[in-house]
Amino acid sequence: MSAGADGGIVDGRRCRSCAEVSAFPWPACPACGGAVEPASFGPFGKVWSATVVRIPVPGRTPPYRLAYVDLDDGPRVLAHVQADGAAERVVAASIGSRVRLLPDTDEGDLLVEVVES
Amino acid sequence: MKVAVHGVGTSHFGRQPERDLVSLAWAAVREAFADADVTAVDAVWVGTVFGPAGVAQRVLRAMGITGIPVITVENACASGTTAFAEAHEAVRTGRYGRVLALGLEQMSTAFAGAITPEATDPEGRSGLALPALYAMAAARYLHDGAVTPAQLAAVSVKNHAHALHNPRAQYSGSFTVEAVLGSRMIADPLTLLQCCPTSDGAAAAVLGPARPGAVGVRSVVLRSGAPWNHRSPHVWGHDVVRDTAADAYAAAGIEPADLDVAEVHDAFTIGEIVTTEALGLVGPGEGGKAAESGRTALGGEQPVNPSGGLLSRGHPLGATGLAQLAEIVWQLRGDAGRRQVDGARLGLVETMGGGVSVLDGNACVIAVLEAP
Ligand SMILES: [Zn+2]
Repeated sequence: MSAGADGGIVDGRRCRSCAEVSAFPWPACPACGGAVEPASFGPFGKVWSATVVRIPVPGRTPPYRLAYVDLDDGPRVLAHVQADGAAERVVAASIGSRVRLLPDTDEGDLLVEVVES
Repeated sequence: MKVAVHGVGTSHFGRQPERDLVSLAWAAVREAFADADVTAVDAVWVGTVFGPAGVAQRVLRAMGITGIPVITVENACASGTTAFAEAHEAVRTGRYGRVLALGLEQMSTAFAGAITPEATDPEGRSGLALPALYAMAAARYLHDGAVTPAQLAAVSVKNHAHALHNPRAQYSGSFTVEAVLGSRMIADPLTLLQCCPTSDGAAAAVLGPARPGAVGVRSVVLRSGAPWNHRSPHVWGHDVVRDTAADAYAAAGIEPADLDVAEVHDAFTIGEIVTTEALGLVGPGEGGKAAESGRTALGGEQPVNPSGGLLSRGHPLGATGLAQLAEIVWQLRGDAGRRQVDGARLGLVETMGGGVSVLDGNACVIAVLEAP
């Protein structure tokens, strides 16, 4: 799963049978096993839920913000949320906020910014 | 063939890095064999997640269980109950006469802190440790007004208080809602006392044909999750539990209201809330209220996690499901001591394991058991 160096777009698949969308280049639909075709999603979406990870995780420096984002007409993806200030004041992105995909993080993860809370 | 649980046993649960898996498993198997009054079985199913290749045979040989079929299964947190489900099926169909289901896990020597999902999935790669995955569900529940912070904490208060009466539990305590909410934040909104500890342990059950005095198995259902996304209005892990439960109730011929006691997957407080709703023990949005009001506490209408649950007993992944089973067996035999649910006749075990990206859980196992 990647929005690439330019950001904004996630390449995935859409099912020809049930219209299930996926952010992965998998050979069949994860919902029904049907045939899939390439599809692109983004750059906008809405936060389904969000948290701040405050414990050490290998290779990460807490705190950091993560959100499940429902891309418009697209899949639910996990993304980092751009930091919004000093570490001690980090709060989770608001559920329902509009977000936009940015270029991937240095670690290759999806990254979004809040455009409208 | 109708199947019964002839005997159960567990090790102590807790951080026990000084013990090895043989010592943990021996405690569980020795107790289960003595409880079942047997010295041998025809086959073994072992549930474990992080053990190295061959861990089952390596442990079993040390207790003289060799030369019979040994099958290892992995279904994340539901590995122990998956071993139970398969052992049950083997007895039910007459494939084997008497089968041992064994769950084991040593977490303290494998993880410094929280578990992160497999790094080839976005959740693992992005640093969504397991507490954060459940935190996403808790945050959504709070946003929807389906739970309050105090209700989340009430699950922790209740289960840690239950564990005061469980000498096998990792830890227990008379915590207040304020203490739970004031403990260190792990992943917003889940605080430390709302997360299960890192545990080592083993649990076992001997299954065989129905017989007088033994707890009977009314049904066992195993299901893996379908994709979870915007097509479901529910949080992660809800629908797989709901669907597994529907099958388990139908196979057992019962309604959720018929259950006297349940052991459910409360790795995090929100887990018990979502699960009690998905199981139909309470209505949608009522899981938090049920914990707060005492409905799901010992002495309440339908006690949930009288053992203390994963939150207090501890959560050695592969062992958890069979520890839940042991608790329900003791409850249905009237052997649960000071945490006994008076007159319990019908009990439920539910475990849900997850971590595979996109899916609504790797597996859910639900068993309905009845008193002898
Ligand atoms: Zn499809």
